Amino acid sequence: MAIFKKVLTRILMYAVELLIIVLSVFPILWVVLSSFKTNAQILEGAFTVPTGVQVGLETYAYLFERYDFLLYFRNSLLVALVATAISLICFSMAAYVLAKFQFPGRSLIFILFTITMLVPGHAKAQPIFSMINSMGLYNTLTGLTLVYLGSGIAMSIFILRSNFMSIPKELDEAATIDGAGFFKTFVRIDLPLAKSGLSTAGILMFLGNWNEYFYAALLITSEKSRTLPVALQFFNQSLTYDYTKLFAALTVVVLPAIIMYCFAQEQVQQSVAASGVKG
Amino acid sequence: MKSDQKISKYGKLERKNFKWVYLFLLPTIIIFVMFYVQPICVMLYTSFTKWDGFNEATFNGFRNYQRIFTNSAASSSLWNLLWWSVIAMTLHTGFGVLAAFVIFNKPFGWKFTRAVFMIPNVISGAAWALIYRFIFNDQVGMLNETIRTVNPDFSVQWFYQSPYAFWAVTFTWLFYAVIVTLIVFNDLSAIPDSLLEAARLDGCNGAQLLFRIQLPLCRISIGTSVLCSITSRISMYEAIALTTGGGPGDDTMSLSVLLVRAISDYQYGFANAIGVVMFIFGLVVMQVINKSFRMSDSIY
Repeated sequence: MAIFKKVLTRILMYAVELLIIVLSVFPILWVVLSSFKTNAQILEGAFTVPTGVQVGLETYAYLFERYDFLLYFRNSLLVALVATAISLICFSMAAYVLAKFQFPGRSLIFILFTITMLVPGHAKAQPIFSMINSMGLYNTLTGLTLVYLGSGIAMSIFILRSNFMSIPKELDEAATIDGAGFFKTFVRIDLPLAKSGLSTAGILMFLGNWNEYFYAALLITSEKSRTLPVALQFFNQSLTYDYTKLFAALTVVVLPAIIMYCFAQEQVQQSVAASGVKG
Repeated sequence: MKSDQKISKYGKLERKNFKWVYLFLLPTIIIFVMFYVQPICVMLYTSFTKWDGFNEATFNGFRNYQRIFTNSAASSSLWNLLWWSVIAMTLHTGFGVLAAFVIFNKPFGWKFTRAVFMIPNVISGAAWALIYRFIFNDQVGMLNETIRTVNPDFSVQWFYQSPYAFWAVTFTWLFYAVIVTLIVFNDLSAIPDSLLEAARLDGCNGAQLLFRIQLPLCRISIGTSVLCSITSRISMYEAIALTTGGGPGDDTMSLSVLLVRAISDYQYGFANAIGVVMFIFGLVVMQVINKSFRMSDSIY
């Protein structure tokens, strides 16, 4: 009986594993494979195997010739990187003083910053849309970057503050005695020791910005400022029923993120796990 | 005199640092004011007005809110949000927790499973929505193709036919609970071995260990997961806008789709009333979860 139970749990565990793998990998694999099939083959059946790479190569060549994918890629990368870098600098400075110094308004400011977590990002769409418009930044990457600056505020400050708090005070005191000023202590002593928190917050914000669609679709209409997710929506409209090309476009949009993830797998998983600690 | 006393709470060295402290806070405060304080004030105020963004906003009381509860599209988005929240809380979080326990037992291939589970979450939601649009497509999709091997005449437009569209949209996120899994897994790994050992010595069997020790000790991470998964339902956008667009009828309408629609119709007052409702829904959920999972009491 005990053995029977044990076997049953084993089977159940493998079933869950299998389900997860199938649900996560199949859709993407199917899209990538389909981009190597002709439209007729796609219509013939979902599970037919592509006959060669010829069709695929032609499709990708056509897409890259016709549309400026590199531009969309560059736009996405630029917006995500710049927004992440600037907010990481700002938030680490704020988190540092919130962790290590006593000053009037300390707890109030901390509460205000972390309470932003309660505001659904999409709820304030109209005021932000109008603000970016009135600054003359509608349809620009600068405008989009600005909007992304505020996105990770609560989570980043939470993660970074606890990271700075775990750095022993003696180190700062030693630096001060050795004649290092406020700024120097921060840059030379604390920042390097907070690497894990910085990478956690950075990865989470970068992923969020890289994949962001709602504000990008709201604020960007021109071709030259399109990011990858917005470009996708455009293909969806202009290539209807040309399945091969649509699947190829999807592949091109999805692949960079997957490749990046492959390189930073462990860190991404740890970051997501750490994001739960904020509670 | 009074203010002198207040300042004297801080040492001389600390006071010397004040200008640095506030300088360090300044950039974040600017971001906070620009993207939270100002928009939220505008949102709250104009939600009580009729406003197109060009002309002066005119006060119209609770009319925008009345519209949310009487307008059919808006009230079905509220119902959908409620149902999706319930599904997120039960099935979605449940599957995530189940996956966490499976992975925690480290069966063959657990690392691969965990790594692969993350993939749908690292690619853009827009791409994921489109991928599912093709999977559920009647002509070229995987799903109907599979069903047709059993029943050759089968034909359903999952995203465009009435009772199915809601479930099709639900399916695009239902099983993708990797965030839940990772957060709960983190908590599971943090349970001290000595505790489990003691329970085993006291004669706990596997199921008792699971339900009496491990699950209760993951209370806070499960609460956080529920909160996270409901919050993402509030702002669910791509999975609807790029698949059904809210249809058929208002079957899959959501507040964020409606909000964007109101912005493009220059009904800014109505748009902001929707924003306020999203905000309040989030606050209520937060309070309920905090209370019911006793999130502020520590576990050990």
